[in-house]
Amino acid sequence: MAGVAEAVAVERIRGGVFSRLARSQYAALAGMRWSMFRHGMRSTKGAVEAAARIVILLVYSFIGLGLAAGFGGGAYAAASHGHWELMPLFLWVLFFMWQVVPVSLASFQQQFDLGGVLRFPVGFGVFYLLHLIFGLVDVSTIMGGFCCLGLLVGITVARLGAFGWAALSLGVFAAFNILLVRAIFAWIDRWLAQRRTREILSAVFLVLLLSMNFLNPALRGNTNRPWLNAKSRDAGDRYLRIANRVQRWLPAGLAARVLRSGVSANPGDAAESLALLGIYGLAVGGVLGFRLGGEYRGENLGDAPGRKKVEKRSRQWLLDGAGPIAAEMEKELRTILRALPLLYGMGAPLIMVFVFSGVFRSKGTTNLSQLPLGLLLCLAYAMVGFTQLLYNNLGTEGAGIQILFLSPTPIRTVLLAKNLFHALLFAIDAVLVCVISSLRYGAVDLVALAAIVSWLLFAMPVHLAAGNAFSIVMPYRVNMGRISRQRGSQSNALLSLAVQLGVLGIGGGILAACAFFNRLWLAVPVFLVLAAAAIFAWLRLLPRFETMASARRDDLIATLVKAE
Amino acid sequence: MQTAAIQTTGLTRRFGELTAVDNVSFSVAPGQFFGFLGPNGAGKSTTIKMLTGLLEPSAGAIEILGHPFGANALELKRQIGVVPEGMALLGRLTAPEYLRFVGRMYGLDRAITNQRTDELLEFMQLANESRKLVTDFSHGMQKKLALAAAVIHAPKILFLDEPFEGVDAIAAGMLKAMLQGMIQRGATIFLTTHVLEIVERLCSHVAIISQGRLVANGSLEELRAGVASGLPGVQQEQRLTLEEIFLSIVGAGGMEPAQELSWLA
Repeated sequence: MAGVAEAVAVERIRGGVFSRLARSQYAALAGMRWSMFRHGMRSTKGAVEAAARIVILLVYSFIGLGLAAGFGGGAYAAASHGHWELMPLFLWVLFFMWQVVPVSLASFQQQFDLGGVLRFPVGFGVFYLLHLIFGLVDVSTIMGGFCCLGLLVGITVARLGAFGWAALSLGVFAAFNILLVRAIFAWIDRWLAQRRTREILSAVFLVLLLSMNFLNPALRGNTNRPWLNAKSRDAGDRYLRIANRVQRWLPAGLAARVLRSGVSANPGDAAESLALLGIYGLAVGGVLGFRLGGEYRGENLGDAPGRKKVEKRSRQWLLDGAGPIAAEMEKELRTILRALPLLYGMGAPLIMVFVFSGVFRSKGTTNLSQLPLGLLLCLAYAMVGFTQLLYNNLGTEGAGIQILFLSPTPIRTVLLAKNLFHALLFAIDAVLVCVISSLRYGAVDLVALAAIVSWLLFAMPVHLAAGNAFSIVMPYRVNMGRISRQRGSQSNALLSLAVQLGVLGIGGGILAACAFFNRLWLAVPVFLVLAAAAIFAWLRLLPRFETMASARRDDLIATLVKAE
Repeated sequence: MQTAAIQTTGLTRRFGELTAVDNVSFSVAPGQFFGFLGPNGAGKSTTIKMLTGLLEPSAGAIEILGHPFGANALELKRQIGVVPEGMALLGRLTAPEYLRFVGRMYGLDRAITNQRTDELLEFMQLANESRKLVTDFSHGMQKKLALAAAVIHAPKILFLDEPFEGVDAIAAGMLKAMLQGMIQRGATIFLTTHVLEIVERLCSHVAIISQGRLVANGSLEELRAGVASGLPGVQQEQRLTLEEIFLSIVGAGGMEPAQELSWLA
């Protein structure tokens, strides 16, 4: 037809997940990962990284095996005595663990960002599948997989005939959890990427934290409370029955129903429950697909603030003071306020603190010998959220690291400013932890509080000094727009965890010894002496970090600036 | 009528309140060396990202080789090569490994990938650096590698975002010769750069974008004639440089350099 342009013929491509092109792409990606691993071993740093990765994998696997043994033992006991009504309990615990652990351990995981493959002719199915495959090495999946296996073994040993239904039920339940955790991360990343949704998410997160604390008094297990009479107990039982009826239609409950109906020779009900569980899996898979579809089509997750806004913001000053310490602290504050992954990491452990703190109650009353240990554990756990901030304190600089080396401000001043600011942030977090714990325990004993504060005075400079060293020797670039798919340093994660465990061990050992001899007050001077030594060492080491940073300048710049 | 290699209609991309690319329509004919110019933040890279399927337009349509992008993304991605803004290299691979990876991601046979990898490394003078990790390459070497990766699958259309930045004069000359060779063999090249001399020497057609809007589009001669007719004191026959055309169309942002930053030595 004259005047109308016809499209140039282009070769049709079969982009299915098992097409020739897809197979070539899987092979290319696997080869690329292998080459990266192999080249990583060229340098000492790379070899340490690889070793750390193996150690971390082993640690997770051992934890997973331990949990699997626990779940397996429990499932065996329940199945062999016919207590199938207990199965939902196991599965709900597993469900929450599967979904909460990845967020708590986000700092310790290295994930591969698949966004880069989108410039190639990659089909959506391939992109989706790759997301799932790379997600299989998540901590949660390793641990959850082991736990499912433990449950399967426990049930099968107790009732051999239940193997088929158990395998089906736990397999679909595992698939549901894998899809859900990937979907949660994908959506959180989406919400964190834009200012408006980031602010909404922050508000929701804050409300969640506050509401959990308001729930605290209601959940305190003091059975002597006058208002907890027979009538209210009946009401509680009624609510529990309603909750039980509801949970039967939720994934963990459905998986348990498959098991129960399967062994009760009720295959119809078992198949129906399995089908419903499968529908949940498909729905979650759809939700994940919807999100990945946006990414696949080229939806941009980055912020692009309007030109006028930039001008307005550039005139704002949050801190007064013209010195480099004030400038660096202000920059840190601005960076953290704009990096919800960091805020999230700091805040998320507070939820777990709420859960943990309940463990240290004894029949509804505060056990004073356990209180300081409990508070210590809670604070140590809260510290986990600060790992990325303290132990990779140059990671958010990116290309800006060059300015630090170009400016006449010594690196030790920069590190000092960062240290002071991070310590201040942790102090705020520590106060929150104490408030949460107090709401759970009742009022915190003053001697115990003094001991804990003294321990913190010791722990913080140790973390700051070690953090400065690790930040210079094992830095990694932090992507502030994402929680998942961050590139990290496994050796940094592993060694920082070791330091944290060491500091916790010293604190716990001293507190336990003092509590054992009924001289808890003695822990205060001991910790203060340690704190004085730690502060002295931290201050003495700051100039050394200057030398260290200068010596490793090229490596630091290469790591934080150059190609991924 | 010849099918356009690239055709956009009302292409728009918004980021919240900011419209980075605003209702941009243009057409690039096959075999054309097309220069896409604009000041910093004008929307050049955003446009390239949309044209290569890395960014979804908020509105408007894109056709590559006469096919709408959305429905034929796989096929069209195979027809285009890109040197993106950040080069998108994998630093912990060597150059041959990276090129082989890219070749296989485009579905090339192993033998063809290996052969083209060797030829490209030789051509880009990177063959002697085959054991070096990409992260240890200089900026110019990384640019050459990114360009090699963009052409390994023999694309019909090549999108280049600042390809000559940081490349030495010898390498730049070699790359220009390679690109002109591609044009002679029928490829289409879409180039964005701030080096106006290169555009003037290589490109037959130029479009200028400013604050997200297309403010000029045509052959160099058409732009010259258009600008000359609008400028007082400029004769039609006077041959304006692309820099003069660009500054005339986009302006210097209203700044008088002599009045600004008077405290500078």
